[in-house]
Formats: sequence, structure tokens, C-alpha cells
Amino acid sequence: MESKRNTSSFRDPSGYVFIEDDSVKRVVNHIYFEQYNQLTSSGFYQLLFDKKYLVSHQEVSRTDSEIIIEASKIPFINYPYEWSFLQYKHAALLTLKIQKLCLENNFTLKDASAFNITFHEGKPIFIDTLSFDFYQENNPWLAYKQFVMHFLGPLVLTKYFGQDHLKTLALHLEGISLQKLSNLLPLKSYWSPILLTNIHLLAKYDKKYESDKKKVNNNLSKASQIKLLDGLYDYILNLSVNEKTEWDHYYNQINYNEVAYQVKKEFVKDWFSSIKGKSLIDIGGNDGTFSRELKELADFMIVADVDANAVEQNYKQILKNKEKSILPIVVDVLNPVANYGFNNQERFSFIDRVEEANLDAGLALAVIHHITLSGNIPFSLSAQFFSKMAPNLLIEFPTRADSWVQFLLDSKREFKSHFDFYNEENFENEYAVYFEIVHKVKIDSSERILYSLKRR
Amino acid sequence: MIPLYFDPGTGALIVQFLAAAVAGVLLFYRTVLHKIKSILGIKDKKEDDFMDETDPTEDHK
Repeated sequence: MESKRNTSSFRDPSGYVFIEDDSVKRVVNHIYFEQYNQLTSSGFYQLLFDKKYLVSHQEVSRTDSEIIIEASKIPFINYPYEWSFLQYKHAALLTLKIQKLCLENNFTLKDASAFNITFHEGKPIFIDTLSFDFYQENNPWLAYKQFVMHFLGPLVLTKYFGQDHLKTLALHLEGISLQKLSNLLPLKSYWSPILLTNIHLLAKYDKKYESDKKKVNNNLSKASQIKLLDGLYDYILNLSVNEKTEWDHYYNQINYNEVAYQVKKEFVKDWFSSIKGKSLIDIGGNDGTFSRELKELADFMIVADVDANAVEQNYKQILKNKEKSILPIVVDVLNPVANYGFNNQERFSFIDRVEEANLDAGLALAVIHHITLSGNIPFSLSAQFFSKMAPNLLIEFPTRADSWVQFLLDSKREFKSHFDFYNEENFENEYAVYFEIVHKVKIDSSERILYSLKRR
Repeated sequence: MIPLYFDPGTGALIVQFLAAAVAGVLLFYRTVLHKIKSILGIKDKKEDDFMDETDPTEDHK
């Protein structure tokens, strides 16, 4: 039996996560027994499970010093810096919903880290089972500052300065500092009563009392705290970002030949049935149009795209159709999320997590020309990247005659001749190092070829 | 109480009182506005709750 402590689980003394035989387990330390027992016997854990707010668990064993629980497994843990704006908003709102529900049941969230939330089955879900504590009458919310640093800060920066700021936590794992946040925001943010109090005033007071570690109790009634939560909820619910991006409404923009489009859809379906796949990663999947064709066949699909707006459109469809099998995330293939944190082992890289997830198939439609011609990535390197995604790959290769390819080549100007290697033959040769070609078909009435590949 | 692994910030604990008071005023103003609108027959556009599948009756307002 192999057991391995999760290297990202070290902050909280209440317990830690470990992986044993492919299942996710958690040790509850003695100091948390009272809370754990009360959360269980009061039915509050069950209430959170029923509402799908918290990942469910079962008690496996119990001794005097530790309790071990097993959590339901989530196939792919995703991080705040991989979410679209709406997903980030919903993660923040879920945290507030949980805190409100806690107060109604005489508990409180003792932390409000954005890493406590991940997206699973089409929704955000809280994954830190030991984040709850007893509510002490009239005590303020201890995790309030953390909530602002992890959620409100990045969301407001995004509102004012665009979606790059959704990645704030990749740089600041502990959340953005209040001083910096307050300094960055434009003057007009002072006109918002919510931002004035929850960011600017907060930053000021935080600095003022920086070295003063006195205890602050009994200054906030429960009713007032609920008002604070409702105020934040309302503000965040109505936050919007207005930023046009390159791949926004992609399938409306491009002038796809309808026949070629249908052929491609059918081919994707046939290919996925033929490999008897159950799970998939769609690289450059935009709003999930092609993955959605596989909804009946697949249990789990990651649809990754560099464009936060496209990912958001995908997420909106998931909400609307109540789809559980699709996970939309923002991924830049040219700079995928790295290993962050202490020892580089706290938050895991995109590639590590994909490999860990053991997916059946990879889909790469209409991306290779961008990777190769915009990113200057040689075929040998992109082949290596795709070979890490899954054992089966369906990849679309637009030939030199394709209008997009010509556009990209023309934008290279004098450097154009450097890309003379971009052709079918070189593609096949370089990809043959990692894959064997199972099937190759030219899409009628287009200048594109579909390759079904199998990893060597 | 479980000891926290991070500093909740003395200032952050104090400022909550002010932030809650401001939120209270805003919420009150919104409720009044909502009432006036409903008297005039203007309906607020209501966004679907993203967690609504599990809890269709919940009303966060």
C-alpha cells in the first residue's frame, strides 16, 4: 500500500491530505476533533454535501490521535489562475454563500483561500473539509482580509484592467497585498462605497494596525456580518468586465465551410468511438463546440483555451445546459501553468496534472499552425508536448494552401522563408518520433488534413 | 477555536464594522428602490443562481 502526503497540504495544523492507492484521504488531527465531531453530528457536513457546496467524504478510521476520512476524488484540480472571469466570480460567491450558511448554523469559515475552491461537474466546489470552526458570538470574520486578497482584489483589478489579472494568484500565492491593491486601483474606485470600505479603508486600517496584535472581539454582531457578506455578494454578482479578445465568438467570426464543418464533427465522433475513449483533453477547444459533440460518449473532458472570453462562453453553456462532464479552463499552450510554491511542489503544473489524470485522448483542432507559426515552436517540440497529453491524439493540420496559414506566413515578412519546413511531410516525419499515424484524411472542400495518431 | 495559520490583521477586524454599516445602508437603499420599482411594475432582471440545481428555492436577496 502506497501512501504519500500531499505536498500542498501543510498550512493548517488541523490535518493534512494524503494519497493512498489512488484515493484521496485526509488526516484529522486531535486539535480538530471537537469541530469535526460537531460538524458531523449536527448534520452540517451533510447539508454542505447535499447542496454540493463541499466535496463529500466518508470516515474510514478513528483512533485517539487521528481520524482518517476519504474524500470523493476530483479528476482534475484546477486553480484560480485557470478560471475565466465568471468562474472566478462564482468561486467568490460560493465562498460567501458558505460563510453565510455557516453563520446560520453557528459555524464560521476560518480561511477563505481561493485554492479552497475548484471546478468540478460544471460548478465550483469547496474542497477544504477542515476550514470550518465554531462561531463565537459577535466575533468578526477572521478570513475577511484573506477573502479580499484572494477574491475581491483580483476580480476588481480585472474589472478595471482586464483579464490578465485573473492570474494574480499565480504571482501572489497568498493573495495580492492590500496596500498594492489600493494603490493600483483608479481614483474613481473611491466612489464605490463597497470598494472604499472593503479595499481602500481596509488597506489603511491594515497598515495603521500593522504592528498592533491586539485581540479584536465582540465588535460585529452576526446580523452585521451577514450584511457585510450580502454587500460583498451583491457587488461581486454585478461585477462585469468588458474586454474584447482575439478568439471571442470564434465560430461566428470564421467563415467555415458548412460541409467541412460537419465532416470534421463526424470524424471527431467516429475517432473517439474507435479508440473507445472515456476522457479527453481538447487543446485550443475554444467554447467547447467540438467536445460537446462527444457529450454522449465521454465521462470527462477538459476544454482548454488561451482565450478567457471563449472559456467563459463555454462555462455559460455548461451552466445553461447543466453539463457535468466538461471542465473549461484557461491554458496558454506557449506558457502553461508551472509548478508554484515551496519546493515547487505546492501548486502543480498543467502538464503534471494532465499526466496524473491519465486521459484517454487529446484533441487539437486548428491549433498546430498557431503553435508553429505564431509561437515559432518546431514540430518536434509540439509533438513532444502533445505526447504528454494522452495516448491518442486527433490533430488537424492546415496545409500551406490554407488561408489562415498564408496569413500567418505573410505576417512573418522577411522571416517567412524560415518556415519553409511547414508542410505535411515534415509534420509527419517529426510527429512519427512520438506517434504512429493510424488514419489520415483530407477534409473535403478545405485545405486541411485530420490525423488520428497513437502514441508509441 | 483553532489557531489560524495566517494573520487575520487587526485593522481588517476593526474595519469590518464600518464595511458592514455601509453595506447595510446600501442594502436598505436597494430594498427601497426595489419596492418602488415593483409598485411601478418594473421587474428586476434576475440572474439565474449558478448553484440553483441543488437549491431551487433559495433566494439570496
